[in-house]
Amino acid sequence: MSVHALQRAEPAATPATAPSLIPSLVRELGGITHLLTCGSVDDGKSTLIGRMLWDASDLYEDQRENVRRSGRKAAGTDLPDFSMLLDGLVAEREQGITIDIAWKYFDTAKRRFVIIDSPGHEQYTRNMASGASHADVAIVLVDARAGVKKQTKRHAAILDLVGVKHVVLAVNKMDLVGWSEDVFRKIEADFRTLCWKFNFWEATAIPLSAVFGDNVATPSRNMDWYSGPTLIEHLEKVPSRASEAGSVFRFPVQTVLRDGGDFRGLAGTVTSGSVSVGDLVVDALSGASGRIIRIATMDGDLQTASAGQAVALQLDVDIDISRGAVLSAREMRPVAAQTVEARFVWLSENAFNPTTGYLLRTATDLIPISNIEIKALLDLETMASRPSRGCATNDIAIAKISLGRAAAIDVFTEIPETGTLLLVDSISGATVAGGVATAVDAKAEEPVDGHFVLKRDMLANGLNRDLSMSSKDREEFMRRANEVAIILRAAGVSVAIEPPPPLDDGMDPGL
Amino acid sequence: MTASPSHLDLLEAESIHIFREAAAQFRKPVLLYSIGKDSTVLLHLARKAFFPAPIPFPLLHIDTTWKFRDMIAFRDRTAKQFDLELIVYVNEEGLKRGINPIDHAPSIHTDVLKTQALKQALDKYGFDAAFGGARRDEEASRAKERIFSFRAAGHRWDPRRQRPEMWHLLNGRLGTGETVRVFPMSNWTEKDVWRYILREKLEVVPLYFAADRPTIVRNGQILMQDDARLQPKDGEKVEIRKIRFRTLGDYPLTAAVESDADTIEAVVAETLNAQTSERQGRLIDHDQAGAMEKKKQEGYF
Repeated sequence: MSVHALQRAEPAATPATAPSLIPSLVRELGGITHLLTCGSVDDGKSTLIGRMLWDASDLYEDQRENVRRSGRKAAGTDLPDFSMLLDGLVAEREQGITIDIAWKYFDTAKRRFVIIDSPGHEQYTRNMASGASHADVAIVLVDARAGVKKQTKRHAAILDLVGVKHVVLAVNKMDLVGWSEDVFRKIEADFRTLCWKFNFWEATAIPLSAVFGDNVATPSRNMDWYSGPTLIEHLEKVPSRASEAGSVFRFPVQTVLRDGGDFRGLAGTVTSGSVSVGDLVVDALSGASGRIIRIATMDGDLQTASAGQAVALQLDVDIDISRGAVLSAREMRPVAAQTVEARFVWLSENAFNPTTGYLLRTATDLIPISNIEIKALLDLETMASRPSRGCATNDIAIAKISLGRAAAIDVFTEIPETGTLLLVDSISGATVAGGVATAVDAKAEEPVDGHFVLKRDMLANGLNRDLSMSSKDREEFMRRANEVAIILRAAGVSVAIEPPPPLDDGMDPGL
Repeated sequence: MTASPSHLDLLEAESIHIFREAAAQFRKPVLLYSIGKDSTVLLHLARKAFFPAPIPFPLLHIDTTWKFRDMIAFRDRTAKQFDLELIVYVNEEGLKRGINPIDHAPSIHTDVLKTQALKQALDKYGFDAAFGGARRDEEASRAKERIFSFRAAGHRWDPRRQRPEMWHLLNGRLGTGETVRVFPMSNWTEKDVWRYILREKLEVVPLYFAADRPTIVRNGQILMQDDARLQPKDGEKVEIRKIRFRTLGDYPLTAAVESDADTIEAVVAETLNAQTSERQGRLIDHDQAGAMEKKKQEGYF
């Protein structure tokens, strides 16, 4: 600790960014930033989060008073220990949840911040991947004395895998290296070299001191050489994932709404792009198309709906589209995939077992899997893959999946919102892995001994003879077909479900 | 659509997404309606999620028979106004045993008339999913709660069985005997709830607004004498005070605050300026250390 640092005044009690007393009652903040913090306790993670809360957030006065009254001091200083603002969140209540992520909310004058915190010490790959999948931006924390480490590389690899595009390197404990610009520039350069390997859109390094508050919410007076933004200023400008969604329209249908009259609406959230009244939309699986005649919400009909908006779309024709369909424009459709290659983070305590029945969960579809082949495991430090037939907790697996029927899936790096996947244990229902599609193919992989094909006639005659042709019963038909496929799969039979008939078959789809 | 939606727009859209995911994946869902401000927002979001169709599941109110009279009146008015299917469930067996919040410890009363009653009701009707208005910002033990929170047979919350949630993918496939609690407002804060009530012009129970009400001060807390079942003890007396409530529950267990805030704007202003977080008003949480944690394991919300 330098003398200079010790003499340094505590940043003003009312920092510049503290919210004033309600400028207007319905203060709607300009968006939400989901923030993942990566780093260990040793890097000062809790202190940094605590400092952000103290300097920039709308803490209740009783919470502030607790910190002042406790008398707890940050190690080696006379300053309050801000990390105690996270007590009860991270350290105190380890509930033994398999994936342990704590969510903490605070508002600055401009933004809602959601801190996604996962314990760094153990099981960190799956914890971090799970948390990072929700993050708009990640703060990778390093100790200025240590710089970029192997762990930093692992962190960056996990962030990239799950699609985080904005990364901040918080170079903490600058007070312990005499506020040295040289030290910071060296770490910054190492970080840039590292980031070249990944698909980040923005990677920024900020020199700071969480204990003293330099460059957290208040510009540092000890580092005149740094002219960039404070951490909070920078975070307030990071766009959310939804606002950065691409321009290609996707609409995974969640459910079909009927008002008892003429209205039949496809309910869902626009995941990327936008759609307007008059647009022609297509269901990638059936090829059926229709024109949008109404975009309904309870607050009135819209002319256009954009990424992130939850709406109900009414088409000019009554085509048989239900949950699991993904609407798109006629061009740029998602692939009606029969085969998917994906990277998965294995989340389950149970290792991959080729005889377990697994289901693939996409945005709104649940698809029986006829075969999963684990091809390799990925080493996060070298980004090299080594061949493997199995995988276990915390592994990153590269897998090829043959689906029991076609599903609308995008390649994650092209359209992330509809390229994410979960592997689900069909018996327990547990989520065993989360992953991203790296390649999709409309052709079925031909197994050596051939698929057993569940013909629709076969299913209709016995199992489903109580069902009508209504769209609700068609959903039930598909549900039962899926379950039969799962049972056969568990018995070791590679199975596929015959696709639905084309729509111009004379059947009444609307009933 | 403006270029950048506000945080309330984003929260609303997320809640609608969750409602639709749950309604599509579960066989027989129900909305747990507890009449307070969070339930008011929850119900409003459910209506938006399925508009212009009606809400495709009933509402369930667990009535301990100790709710404020204004709450019951508001509940029945709301059900009628929106043409909702409302199920009111009372643990009659618990009432017969004479369990009440005045003579018994709050924890016993809550367990029998609320927690046990909820389990009985869910079993009786065979609901496999129950929507609740719980938020992660309410309390430390809820900060790690999932959006789909799974319960083993017997409604027990088992931390080991909680499923990781990634991206916006919500896996609702149930294992044998499992049920699920669904929290569409997981990412809302107390302030958001009030801001949203103001923005959407939602009607809330009048008890949130300051008015002259008969009160008894007990253990340093202001209680309202809502009916004759609550009587002053020695040294206590019934006095008229101008009070309002920040949270609503069973009236002998809900502390009031003295306030002049008698309009929604004044209440929101007071809340946004509040110096203390909301659960200080709820006596059951002070009853024992880690109370909420324990109640959750037992099946309380």
